[in-house]
Order: sequence, then structure tokens, then C-alpha cells
Amino acid sequence: MNGIFEVNYAAFSVFAALLVTEIMGAVGLLIAWPSRSKVLDYIVPVWEVTGTFGALWVVTGDFAYPGLLVPVSEIFTPLLIIFLILWVARSASIAFAEFITKRGWLGEKQLFKSYAVATLVLGLVVLVLLSALVGGQGVSLASGSFSIISWATAGSVVFVVGTLLLAVGLAPVLFDLSALRNLVLPLTALGVVLSVLSYWLMSSGLLTPWMSVPVLLTLVIAALYAWPRTSKIVTNKAVFLAVLSVIIFSLQSLVYPKAVGQALPIDAVTTTGAMADAFFSMTVVGGLLLALMLSLYVMVAARGPNGPSL
Amino acid sequence: MLTFVRFLFAFTIGSHILLVSTSIALILLISISEFLAIRMHDPVYEALARRLSRVFVISFGVGTASGIVMAVELVGLFPSFMTLVASTGAMVLLYAEISAFFLEVLALVLYVYYWNSFRGRFSHWAVSVFVVVGTLASAVFITMLNAWMNTPNGFDISAFVSSGFKTVTGVEPFAAFLTVSTVSQVFHVLVTTLFAGSMVIGAYFAYWFVRSRDAGDKAMYSRALKILGAIAIVTIILAGISGSEEMGNLLVNQPLKYAALDGNTVPGTNLPDRFFGSIVNGSYVGGISIPGMQALLAKFETGTSMLPGLSQFPANTWPPLLVSTTFNVMTVGGLAVGLFLFVFFISFVRKGRPYESRRLLYIWIPAAVLAMLVYQLGWATDEVGRQPWIVYNVMTVAQAANTSDALLVPGVIIVLFYLAVVPATFYFYSRVFQGSKKEAPA
Repeated sequence: MNGIFEVNYAAFSVFAALLVTEIMGAVGLLIAWPSRSKVLDYIVPVWEVTGTFGALWVVTGDFAYPGLLVPVSEIFTPLLIIFLILWVARSASIAFAEFITKRGWLGEKQLFKSYAVATLVLGLVVLVLLSALVGGQGVSLASGSFSIISWATAGSVVFVVGTLLLAVGLAPVLFDLSALRNLVLPLTALGVVLSVLSYWLMSSGLLTPWMSVPVLLTLVIAALYAWPRTSKIVTNKAVFLAVLSVIIFSLQSLVYPKAVGQALPIDAVTTTGAMADAFFSMTVVGGLLLALMLSLYVMVAARGPNGPSL
Repeated sequence: MLTFVRFLFAFTIGSHILLVSTSIALILLISISEFLAIRMHDPVYEALARRLSRVFVISFGVGTASGIVMAVELVGLFPSFMTLVASTGAMVLLYAEISAFFLEVLALVLYVYYWNSFRGRFSHWAVSVFVVVGTLASAVFITMLNAWMNTPNGFDISAFVSSGFKTVTGVEPFAAFLTVSTVSQVFHVLVTTLFAGSMVIGAYFAYWFVRSRDAGDKAMYSRALKILGAIAIVTIILAGISGSEEMGNLLVNQPLKYAALDGNTVPGTNLPDRFFGSIVNGSYVGGISIPGMQALLAKFETGTSMLPGLSQFPANTWPPLLVSTTFNVMTVGGLAVGLFLFVFFISFVRKGRPYESRRLLYIWIPAAVLAMLVYQLGWATDEVGRQPWIVYNVMTVAQAANTSDALLVPGVIIVLFYLAVVPATFYFYSRVFQGSKKEAPA
């Protein structure tokens, strides 16, 4: 077991779970604007936290794998710059939208829809990046380059489609859209099948017995929502987010012990010695601070939101 | 391509600190306003804090996104530098910054979205202190990283250089928290950031105070200006003290940068402070000279110390000598804004109301532009003054940079994007602040 990998991957799991819920919300804002309040009640306080976990993932990644920074820069910089532009667009448009009052043509509707479009495209870029990190399609470690044409294999495309289908399938659970209840289980099951198929297409070695954990958990969420009596459990936002984080965390066999199509052994590139000790010390101190702040948050949030009414 | 990489990062950081300086001053203004609202039972301060908290959400959202851009850009543009950072204690600073960031974001969510959910008013105000601490701590840690770039420590530098940047040994991960330049640089950057930010936000309120005919609005703007004026006066004094401290530090730890900034072509004692001249054929010509001032400003003594000169160092290690001019504009500009704030302070002491004086408020607006220029030039002077090094005496920018042509198109898009986002952010600050006016109790 590689503790540094686990910490970095845990940060990624929470970030990815938050981003996936934002993608679910973005779909909702685009196709069901009249029921936006269900989406915005969740998205509006959460989008700021997503960015923070994203930054945590990036920084712990830099810390964990110093030897990978040069190859990552050579291979992924153009893709990362596109990601950054979309990230600023997404953050700026939702920050502008949150408290704006309508004047002229520009109001919250246009800005929230811009946020939704930026988030969806951002999601696509992230999926391209992740599928390359998992299967190695399009990546040449030897020449330090990435080709989108070489990336577009059956495995990569099915990976993107399967993940998006899962997001669409589970979105009604998160936002409790009971009118779509009957679609949840079939769409989610199809998403699971396509995702597993994509891993197999990328490399049969990716399918380990561990894969049954995320598969089962995903299907359990969908199944619990199918019955009104049990749906309350999974429509709880904190429960949903926690389970989604666990699902993503349990997918770590896709990139550990080897990533990029089994070509990159993670243990060999992980930091060691005094820096590894510092990594753990800082994680403990930062983790305690985070736990304290989250406790305060839970305590106050239990009394219900009440913004700066004027 | 190297020039483009330098330009791209300089442009990004220039845009970023524009957002960050206003953000830091803004949260301090919000916290002080709420504190005064509670202590003085003043509904105008209360409304000011509430309305500004909405603006701060925009500031935080865009500033954070821009910070992430910089973090990822560093990996993309200067991968060898980031590899060194990630292998040494400098990385610990970035990790500490993320902890500060979490403190800021969680406190902010509570502060803004759960305003009325606190049992006591002071409890809610205390959360704003957490946001202030988180925001300032982020700035402190990132400045510590910059101090480490100026005076690196915590690893075996000679072994690293002699191995061709391949082997990092003798790592002391927590040494980067306290390099020889950390204290003076953090002190200087913090006060100048608050100074520039408070002047810029003050300019906004000055403009609206002069323009507005509504007594309620004017009361709010004048209260904001009272707080911002106080912050600006205190920070300009501290900026002068810390600036002198910084020069003293350069004298000991980065003598080449010191020589370039002060235009010393040769070392000597009792050297003059020179302004707006230029170095031609190895001599400083033109401009204004104040005899014997250099040692007084940097070391609080007169003329006995030997001060460094460019001739002591190989010419290929000199920074661009333009830094002497940027340093002069920064110093003289800072003095000019200081003079304005001195008049503002005297007016206040003499029982005047400078924050309601149309004449002074008209001057505040160009003074704020000058303050931001001074602040930006401060960064430019620090960074250009370290050239050609990215990590002083360890690694040059050319050795650190990714010069792939693939960066060109996305880099240009980033520049164009920032050119749209930064003005849009300030526009939305104003629109959100003014948009909530009708509902305010003031």
C-alpha cells in the first residue's frame, strides 16, 4: 500500500464526486430551467468547495510525484490550458450569476446557463484526461506527447459515454426528481455496463475483483431510489456525495499500481524520505483543520441556510 | 518561445494580483464594518457588510479560479522549477496554502450563506475573522514561496547544481518556512497588498460618493472611505518601514539585485540615491541624485558601509537594468500616494471630514490608479530583479521553462480570456453591490 497515493487519490475522489454532481446540476439547468431551484439550492454553496478540493488534488499530486511534472507538462499542457480557461469561465459565470439582478439582456438565467455549458465542456475535457491516464490511449511517454486522434479509440469513447450516462442516470437521485424515477435504474445500469466495457477495451488487466465494489454501490444507489420508501436515504445530499466519493475511491485499481495503460508504476515515481514524512505531517495538520471547520459547518448548517438578506 | 512563456506568466500573475489585492482589502473592510455595526448599533455599517459580502463571493470565486490557473500554469510553463519545488520544502508551503484555502472557503460559506443562523452577532462576526485569517494566510504562504525563490534553502544546493538538476539531497522540508528573506518580504508584501487593495476599493466609493445625490448612499460610502482611509494610512507607513527593511535584506542576501535597483555601477561608500537616470557605458548618467541617502534608507546609517555595485558580478548574471526605472517609479509613486494620504490624515486630525471632501475624493481616484501601478511595479521589480534566475543562484528561467510551440495558441487564448474576465469581474462587483441597494436598510 502506498499511503501518499491513497491521500492524493482520496483528494481526487472527493473532487471528482463534487465535479460529477456539478455536471449533474449543469444538465438540469440546461434541460429543466423551471425546476432550477432544486439544483441551485445544492450547487450554489458547493461550487466553491469543488475548486478547493481540485486545488488540493493538484497540490498533493505535485507533492506526491515530483518526477512526473516534466512529462505531465510535455504531454498534457495544451489540454490543461483548455481546462483552465473553462475553469475560470465556470467559476466566474456562477459567481456573477449568484447575486445579480436582471438589467437589460444579462441576468441570472444567461449566466447560470453559461456556467452549465462551461461545466459540461469542462467535464468532457476531464474525462478525456482521465481516460488517457487510465488506458494510456493517445499518450506517448517516450516522446512526451498527446494525440487526440490516437486517443479516440473504442475504449476511450465508451469510457466518456459510460461516465456521462452514469451522471445523467444518477442526477434525478441527487436532485430528487421523482418524475424521472423510472429512468434511474435502467440508465445507471447501462452506464455501469458501458463503463466496465470501456475498462476491458482499454486493457483486460484493469478488471480486477475490486471492480465489483463500485459496480455494486452504484447499482444500490439507483435501486434504493426506485422505491419511494428507501429513496430518502440516497436523496440526502451528504449521503449521496459520500457514497459517490467512496465509489470513485474504490476505482483506484484503474491507476494503481500502474497507470497510463499499465506503463507507469506509481510506487516508482512517488516521493520518499524526508519529503514523504513532511507530506504525512502536513496531511494530518491540514486534515485536523479541515475536520474542525467541517464540524463547525455541520453545526451551523443544521440550523438551515440563511444568506445575507438585505 | 521563452519570451512568450515569461510574458504569459507575468501577465497571469499581474492579473491575478489585481484580483487578490482587492479581495484581501475587501474582506478586511467587511469584517471591520460588521464589527462596527455591532459595537455602534449602526445599520449603515451592517448594510455595508452585507452588501459587500455578496461582492466578496465573486471576488473569491474568480480569484480562486485564477489561483488554480497559476498553480497549473507553473507546472505547464516551468516544469523543471516545479520539480525542484516538489522535491524540497517549498512544496510544503504550497500544501500549507491549501489548508489556509480550506479555512477561507468553509468560513466564507458559513459567513455568507448562514448569516442569520448564528445565535450571537459576535459569533457571526468571528467567522469573518476566520475568512480574513484564511485569506491572509494564503497570501503569506505564497509570498514565503517567493522568498524561497529569492533566497533558497533546505536542500544541498551545490550537489543539486553539480548533478545537473538530477539529484536533490539534504532536504529539510520545513526550512522553507523561514529563509533569510522571509520575514521582511512577507511583511512588505502583506502591507503593500492591503495598501493597494484599499486604495482601489476606496476609489470606487469615492467615485460613487461624489456622484450620488442620495443621503443614505452617501452615508454608506463615507463610512467605507473612513475605514479604507485608515487602512491605507497605516499600511503606507508600514510599507515605507518594510520597504527599507527589504532593501537592507537585499543588501546582504541579494547584493546584485540591490546594485541593479539602485543603479550602482561600481561598489562604494556614501553612494547617492539616484532617480530616473540610466546606465550608459558602465556609468549612471542623468536623473536626480541625493547624496549619501542609500545607506541611510537601507541601513539607517550614513555613508560608512560599503555598498555593492554591478561591476562585482559577471555581466551575464545582471538583471535587465530597466529594474532601476521600475524601482524609481515605484518609490516616487509610493511617496506621492503617501503625501496624499498625509493630507487626508491631517484633515482628519483637524476635525475635518476628508472622506466626504469632494476635492480629496477626486484626487483619491488617480491616487488609487497610482497605488495599483506602484504595487504591480513592486512585483515586477522583485521578479525582473532576480533575472536570469527563477531560483536565485540555482536555476535560471531558461533552464526551468517549457518552450514547446504547442503552448502558443492556448497561451494567447488565456491572455485574451483574462483581458475579458478581469474587467468583467470589476463590472460585476459594482453591479452586484449597486443591485442590492434598494433592499438595504440604510
